[in-house]
Amino acid sequence: MAMIEFKNVEKYYGDFHALTNINLKIESGETVVLIGPSGSGKSTLIRTVNGLETVEGGELIVNDQDLANKKTDMNRIRKNVGMVFQHFNLYENKTVLENIMLAPRLVLKRNKSENEKIAQALLAKVGLADKGNSYPKQLSGGQKQRVAIARSLAMKPKALLFDEPTSALDPEMIGDVLNVMKDIAKDSDMTMLVVTHEMGFAKQVADRVIFMDSGKILEDAPSAQFFDNPKEPRAKQFLSQVLNH
Amino acid sequence: MKNFVDAYSWINITYLFKGLLITLEVSIISLLLSFIIGSFLGVIRYSRIKWVSGTVGFIIDIIRNLPLLLIIFFTYFALPKLQIHLSIMQAAISALTVFESAMIAEIVRSGINSVPIGQTEGARANGLTSIQTMWHIILPQAYKKMIPPLVSQFISLIKDTSLATIIVLPDLMYHAQIIYGQNNNYIIPMFLAISIMYFVVNYALSLIARWLDRRLV
Repeated sequence: MAMIEFKNVEKYYGDFHALTNINLKIESGETVVLIGPSGSGKSTLIRTVNGLETVEGGELIVNDQDLANKKTDMNRIRKNVGMVFQHFNLYENKTVLENIMLAPRLVLKRNKSENEKIAQALLAKVGLADKGNSYPKQLSGGQKQRVAIARSLAMKPKALLFDEPTSALDPEMIGDVLNVMKDIAKDSDMTMLVVTHEMGFAKQVADRVIFMDSGKILEDAPSAQFFDNPKEPRAKQFLSQVLNH
Repeated sequence: MKNFVDAYSWINITYLFKGLLITLEVSIISLLLSFIIGSFLGVIRYSRIKWVSGTVGFIIDIIRNLPLLLIIFFTYFALPKLQIHLSIMQAAISALTVFESAMIAEIVRSGINSVPIGQTEGARANGLTSIQTMWHIILPQAYKKMIPPLVSQFISLIKDTSLATIIVLPDLMYHAQIIYGQNNNYIIPMFLAISIMYFVVNYALSLIARWLDRRLV
């Protein structure tokens, strides 16, 4: 069953056509990487999946609900679809543990002891068991991003969206974050959609690679096939630019 | 010198302190009310709710651009014509609350605006409703940034209560007037005494604010 399905989706910012006729199906449990030059619409596309951006035409079915329909309750979708941002967006006024426990407490009404147990386990999983009482501003970028991932996982989502999760990090921090993401991808139930410039991660972890340019999907292929033998000239050119430097 | 000694007789000083108590009472009640109402209006104005936010914004702009004295006159002299009778104290508190709520609403709105949009996106993507996001994430961060402008506004409020002397609110300023009204030689000693009292109260307020600023995360 498809977890996320775009059918002829259109998106405009004023006159600017941000997404053109997007058709894309992501099955439950799949890991899909979205690549393309900046301004190609990758971030816009991923942000439509949890309703941070609206869509203007077509259908966008996420977890059996249509986001193109204005009556759809976004919070029901967001309960099941987590997001990790480029700039982390941790709650600056809360400790690491409070960051992780807040949404489960308010949205899922998870009881305190269970909430804390799950939060601690997630912190250990991302290698930050000793940081529970720190505030975000006391953490490095890589640590913040791992907390952000733990915060999303605490909701026990069916799908996770990653919007350039390593782009704001120092090079030596990137590996830790990617390792956590690889770990999550191993979980066969978790659907992952990842916008990234980390081609190594895409090659190694992705089931499929989607290549976008100018708001259109130009290529949608299994990862190995895309990297060994891209069909679109624009994709070939992009790959040669990002891989040979 | 003799004027000062006589002016600061026990009876005069206790009378001034009684006035100070009224000033504080009116200030604190208006401050609490306008903080609550102003926060509420600021959030509504920020939220861009169709019609409501615009209307609230329009009313806030009108009030902010009126002299406080006019609002005091309105609550004391005009409301009785509309069959609403308030005591002097109630009239002063109502006028100050209306005026200060409008000022605080603007401080709250700009405080909310200064919290990065990523905080809202993070919370909404995490599944929080817009009200939960506002209450748990945005307002706590906004209030921290708002401490300096809020405190200056509160200091203005305490000073502005003296305007209600005009409707015979028996506050610190009014009690000083009564004393030097009886003996002209007491004018300078009285001005000095109430200056010190206003200063001590307001300076204490800024010290509390500085302490709060350090303490909050």
